Amino acid sequence: MPPLDSLGQFEQIVLTAILALDDNAYGVTIHAKVEELSRPKKASRGAVYATLDRMEDKGLITSWLSEPTKERGGRSRRHYRIEKSGEKALRESARTAQRLFETIAQNLGGLAWKPPR
Amino acid sequence: MEAAALTGPPAWLERIVLLAIPPAAREAVAGDLWETYRSPRQYAGEALRTVPFVIASQMRRNLNLPALMLHGALVFLCLGGPAATLLLPALMLRDAYQATARPCPQHAFRDSVLLASGVMILLLQISVRFPPGVRSGLDAFAWLSLFLQALFLSPFLCLFRAGLIMLGDRKVPIAASDLPLEELVRNYRDFTHDVRRRNLLQAAMLALAAVCAFFFAWNVMLAGLFLLVAFFLLLDTAPFPPACDFVSLRARYQQALARQQQLRRFLRWLWFAPALMFLQARLIESSLTAGRPVAAMLGSIAAVILCFLVMALNREHGGRVQEEIGALDRMRERLTPAAG
Repeated sequence: MPPLDSLGQFEQIVLTAILALDDNAYGVTIHAKVEELSRPKKASRGAVYATLDRMEDKGLITSWLSEPTKERGGRSRRHYRIEKSGEKALRESARTAQRLFETIAQNLGGLAWKPPR
Repeated sequence: MEAAALTGPPAWLERIVLLAIPPAAREAVAGDLWETYRSPRQYAGEALRTVPFVIASQMRRNLNLPALMLHGALVFLCLGGPAATLLLPALMLRDAYQATARPCPQHAFRDSVLLASGVMILLLQISVRFPPGVRSGLDAFAWLSLFLQALFLSPFLCLFRAGLIMLGDRKVPIAASDLPLEELVRNYRDFTHDVRRRNLLQAAMLALAAVCAFFFAWNVMLAGLFLLVAFFLLLDTAPFPPACDFVSLRARYQQALARQQQLRRFLRWLWFAPALMFLQARLIESSLTAGRPVAAMLGSIAAVILCFLVMALNREHGGRVQEEIGALDRMRERLTPAAG
C-alpha cells in the first residue's frame, strides 16, 4: 500500500471523476469528466488510461469488463470503481487542498468561493 | 455518449488501430475509440494520441523486474552484451503485446509447416550452392538422410503443437461465471499452494543441475545463474492478502497469475539454455572458425528449431494464463443467501 499523500494532481482529478460518475465510470465518461474538472487544461485520453492503470496497480481502484454493446462495435466497457484505500487517499488530498485554499485566502484574500466543509 | 457513435470507423483503419493497441487493453480502448468516432480523421488522430500511452502503460504494468533481469542475464550469457542490450526493450515490448488467448490451432500448425518449409528450402539452397566436398564433410548418402529427416520435421512439429493443444484442452479453465467470494478465496488459495509447491520443486531441480554443472566443470556462469534463480524461487511467493472483498481479491489473483506466467516463461528458456549454448559453442562457432559454413548453418537450423519448441510451449501456456485472467475479468460475485 503506497503512502496516502502520494496522490499526484492528475490522480486526484481522475479519482474524483470516478467518484462522481459512480456506476457509469468507464474510459469515455471518465475522460469527459476529467476534462470538465481540469478546465481550462486539456487532458489526453491516453494519459487518463495510464493513470487508471497505475492507480489500479496501487490498489486505489478496481476494474471489470461489462457485457459487449452494439454502440461500441460489439466491445465491452472497462468499468472502474474506487476502493476504500482510494477514498482514504482522496479525503487526505481534499484536506490538504482545503488547507492550501485557506492559507492562500488568508494571505492574498479575494478568492471568490469557499470549499464545502 | 452512446448516441455519438452512429457509424463505426472504416474497417481497414480499425484493423490498423487494433493491431497497434496491446491485446490486454484492446477491448476497452478500441471500444472507447469506436464510441467517440466522428470521422476517420478524428479517429486516427485520437488513436495516435492515445495508443503510445497505452503501450507505455502496458509495458510498465507487465514489467516483472526480477524476471526481466534474470532473462537479461541469460541472454547476456548465451548471446553477449550487445544482444542483451537490444533484447531487453524487445522483451518489455513483447510483454506489453502478449496475446490474451491461446494460439488458434490453425495458426499453430501453419507456423510449424512454415518453419519446416523454411528448413527444407535452406537445405535445398545449400545442396545446390555448395559442392559435396564443402558440406561439412558429409557424403552424398549422409546428406540425403539429413534431407529425408528434414522432410519429417513438418509432421513432427505439427504433432508437437497438437500435443500441446490437447494438453491445454484437458486443463479445466476458470469459469467466467458468477462465483461466491468463498470459492474465489479457495481458488486463490489453491493457486498459491500450487505456486509454492512448483517453486520448491523447480528450485531443488535447479540447485541439483547447478551442483552437477560445477562437478562436471560445465559453464560456471550459467551454473551460477541456475543457483541464483533457485534462490529467487524460494523467496518468490504469491502471498495471501488479508481479508478483502471480491473485486480486490480478483485483481490480486490476476496480478499473481501474470507474474507467475512471466517467471515460468523465463524458466523454460533457462532449462533449454544449456542445449542452446552447446549448439552455439560446438556447432556454430567452432564450425565457423574451422571454415565449415554449412555445419554452422545446420547448427543454426537446430538452434532455431529448439527456440521454436520453447516458444510454442510458452505461447500455449501463456495463452492459457491470459485466458484465465480474461475469465477473472468477466467474473461477478454471486451473493450467498447469508451474505445477501
